[in-house]
Amino acid sequence: MKIFCLPDFKDRFDNLSKKKPYKTLEQDLIDHFFDKGIEHLKSGVRLNFSEHEPFIKKRLEGRGGYRVYFLLIIKLEAAYLMFVHPKTGPDGADNITDESKAKIYKDVLGCIKTNDLFELTLNELKTKIQFQRL
Amino acid sequence: MDCLSTKETINNTFEIVRDTSFSEKTSGIPTENQVNKFLDKILYLQKYLNDKAEKIEDINERLERLTWLNDIDEDSLRQLNGLIASAKDLHSVLIRQLVNLNDFRKKGLAKEAIKRFKSAIDTLKEIISDLESAFFFLPAMPHFLDNTKELSLL
Repeated sequence: MKIFCLPDFKDRFDNLSKKKPYKTLEQDLIDHFFDKGIEHLKSGVRLNFSEHEPFIKKRLEGRGGYRVYFLLIIKLEAAYLMFVHPKTGPDGADNITDESKAKIYKDVLGCIKTNDLFELTLNELKTKIQFQRL
Repeated sequence: MDCLSTKETINNTFEIVRDTSFSEKTSGIPTENQVNKFLDKILYLQKYLNDKAEKIEDINERLERLTWLNDIDEDSLRQLNGLIASAKDLHSVLIRQLVNLNDFRKKGLAKEAIKRFKSAIDTLKEIISDLESAFFFLPAMPHFLDNTKELSLL
């Protein structure tokens, strides 16, 4: 499984990870997305009815209560992380609007078409996410 | 302080000491049995709330899984609309129950169980909103379905 993200996702990740209440974000993302099969990632709320390219909102297990929006392209065995927000703390939100959901859905299509993406891998100890621009 | 008020003060203090002495002799520190009964009630409340939270968490998972159903036709949408209304009704009942737990919460009783119960209720509310988005609002938004089509062609 390859994992990519939008530039906006990386900015948001960098911004949140710096803040004390969100120190668990990186580990929670590692736990959910890395070294996992497609079936594991096909969970949460599917927002677009698509069997082969599901747009998913996932409530991450763990203390942070993060919500991650991502697209799976099953035939490419790839996940595209689009947006993340915590449920609590200074940047916390209960949910995002439908307009925001539609916008990030449009953005992911544009980023895939233009290859405006980062690829995510783990360091040797599997404790840190490394972002590599495509 | 004149003589009368001095006597009154002594008398008042005497009465307080005497009454307290009497009540402490007759009730005093709760017996082990009374403490155990109190703790049993707290444990009962914790279990009751944890069981309730577990039930709501199960409902939340079931609701999420509905979004993975394929071949949703108009009849299914009508059913889902009814289900969403019923889930909203459940949420409002649970919120009323949560409000009734405020006194326990303020006293710090069954703190973790109340927290879990609240979290399950909050998640229920969030999933109800997500279901409405997935089944009704997002498909009605301009370009959303076109986007899905384009993604399938990649």
